[in-house]
Amino acid sequence: MADEPTPVADLPVLRIVHLWPALLNVAGDGGNVSAVELRSKWRGIRTEIVGYEAGDSVPDLASFDIVFVQGGQDVEMRLVALDLPRVAGALREAADAGVVMLPVCAGLQLLGHRYIPNTGETLEGAHVLDLETRGGNQRFMQHAACEVTIDGETSTVVGFENHSGVTELGPGVVPFGRVVAGAGNNGVDGTEGAQRDNVFATYLHGPVLPKNPWLADVLVRRALSRKTGAPVVLASLDDAVEQHNHDVALAKAMRNKGQRTALEPAKLSRAEKG
Amino acid sequence: MTAPKTPPAAPASSVAAAGLPPSLAGKRRTPSLTPRLFAALTAARAAGTASRLLGKGGGTQVPGRIARRIDPNVLATLVGGSGVPVVAITGSNGKTTTARFTAELLRGQGVAVNHNSLGSNLIHGVTSLAVAGADLRGRVAADALVAEVDEGTLLTVLTDLAPRVLVVTELVRDQLDRFGELHALGDALAWVSKQMPADGVVVANADDPLVASFTEEREGRRVTFGLELPGSLDKITRAADTIRCPRCRADLAYRAVYLSHLGDWACTSCGFTRPKPDVAVTAVEVTGLAETRCTIRLPGGVVHNLVIPQAGIHIAYDAAAALAALVALDVPTDHAVEIFSTIRPAFGRVEQIALPDGRTVVLAFSKNPTSFNTTFRALASEGEPKHALMALSNTLVDGEDFAWLWDVDVEGVVPLVQDVVVSGTRADELATRLKYAGVDPACMTLIEDRPAALDAALANVPAGGRLVIVAGYTPTIELRDEMHRRGWTGRLWEQ
Repeated sequence: MADEPTPVADLPVLRIVHLWPALLNVAGDGGNVSAVELRSKWRGIRTEIVGYEAGDSVPDLASFDIVFVQGGQDVEMRLVALDLPRVAGALREAADAGVVMLPVCAGLQLLGHRYIPNTGETLEGAHVLDLETRGGNQRFMQHAACEVTIDGETSTVVGFENHSGVTELGPGVVPFGRVVAGAGNNGVDGTEGAQRDNVFATYLHGPVLPKNPWLADVLVRRALSRKTGAPVVLASLDDAVEQHNHDVALAKAMRNKGQRTALEPAKLSRAEKG
Repeated sequence: MTAPKTPPAAPASSVAAAGLPPSLAGKRRTPSLTPRLFAALTAARAAGTASRLLGKGGGTQVPGRIARRIDPNVLATLVGGSGVPVVAITGSNGKTTTARFTAELLRGQGVAVNHNSLGSNLIHGVTSLAVAGADLRGRVAADALVAEVDEGTLLTVLTDLAPRVLVVTELVRDQLDRFGELHALGDALAWVSKQMPADGVVVANADDPLVASFTEEREGRRVTFGLELPGSLDKITRAADTIRCPRCRADLAYRAVYLSHLGDWACTSCGFTRPKPDVAVTAVEVTGLAETRCTIRLPGGVVHNLVIPQAGIHIAYDAAAALAALVALDVPTDHAVEIFSTIRPAFGRVEQIALPDGRTVVLAFSKNPTSFNTTFRALASEGEPKHALMALSNTLVDGEDFAWLWDVDVEGVVPLVQDVVVSGTRADELATRLKYAGVDPACMTLIEDRPAALDAALANVPAGGRLVIVAGYTPTIELRDEMHRRGWTGRLWEQ
């Protein structure tokens, strides 16, 4: 009975780890953790959430079901990069083991090979994702949307992008999505984010999961399937609120299509003074 | 042609207008009246009057926009070139209230002040302020100008304003979709403060590590303000921003946390430590939704015990910032106690509006995680909000990206909420946030239209009850305008 929800009593506790929550927390991305936690809870699936901060003893990430690495500003990203060599091996092992991961923005950049800024030292990444990011000369700050296909199902994922890094994908990953509106990885090739195994990396803030319940459920379902070794069907929820949020955000992204930023950025340097 | 309405000053009887404080006296220069300047002033006047007569928001943006189009140097000519002392107030939160306090304190000392009291702080708003205060020959009648300036606009208007005092209230993450990153804003303000003339004074919030850091690097006089309390009033949450050393990036150690990341901090790695505040709040108590009591110590042993008819810990910060601005101007604060006792909230800052039927509306403008949390904390002290109307809209001033809503402690207020109407052009975003904070969607109504939302929200409020409106800048103004149309409150610019 493939279409029946899996009985709750048979489901194990989802173990979630949130990496560097104090450093990588800039754009409300903590809401992604809430989305997975609550959408699980509403279905009677229990979760256990732990945080890992720089300098903590490194947990066995492969023993977790979902790993969150969120967005952060340049300064915090550098601090995480200092701690990253301690964690990189565990991250690669977890990715190879099929652990579900959602790296967002700085998280995406840090899980790649390296980040080469316009000025300053190159940040060595975790080499989880075959991608590389360079500092760009403009900032993409706008509503964005991309088309994502997972497990044969295609959906539009919406959010807000806010980055100046320009990411190029290597052959070891596929794009997370195809840009519908917005700049995506680099504003040029129409790719958004990156995917390999159960790692779904994106530039989309929002936070992305609450207003894209389809994606949130994909992560929960993939994590549970991996854990139980069997296909899982999640009970459906009333997503009227989330779906409306998704639709309004999509309309905003479409209205802004072809732009680089939603607002005129504040002029914060002498060179920009106009 | 009427002068812009100014808020009522302190009772005249209590204020001895003993002449202009010597530090504010000085040579005023009359600008050479070019045909362009004259045209700009005339057109701006006409536009301001027309806008006001049409009831279009008090005419705070239009005159400045028109004047700048005709004469791009109008602000520099009228203000920077005039010799009139300028106090520029910037920062993420507290600009409007601090500017209001500063203007009133100066008026209390007999200083004629021009002040953008409506919070119109982008370049056109600041220009409107200058234009409104000048006659048609470009002479500024005021003794001083108090201008709140948007932190992103400061770089553009600073040279034009040539402020004698620059007040920096605090920097929190706000409008990342405009500013990019907080550190970029910090760097920009650092540069701006260093461009000030050597005899200019920077007034800095000592409790904000980022502000304390860049203002210390500037040469020239600095006056600091902050809280000096024995224990914490807040804790570091995910709304907090600068919790690492701005100099060496190590974690800061807090002896006390007062408001978000503001507190008594020190870096355990490089030793950078909070400067001792020159103007210090040594006691503070928020009593209900309409009163804050605080004791503020000034240099030279002056101590003011203030009762301010506005609620919140941030009010103590704003009061200290304003007093520090007067210290920076070398103007005494003799009448501070009387003056503060009369300054009611700026529009929408936990403003209470009595309805004819006996019910009350509390209008609480909020715009970033820190201001939301501060508002919620003040409301929770009275068990509010029970019946709520929440509204956010995406506009130039409100921003486009509301991800920061997820850093607001909405979860903390949800147990108090019985029903909530969600409104504004981003009602969708708010509704999702509220649902994930634990609001039962059955208790939530989504009505984008603001007047209809107000009706629906009031329908939830029993006789004698209170409706709490927590809204962003634009919906706050729209809802206040709607309440004015219904005759419940004065116009914004008639306060």
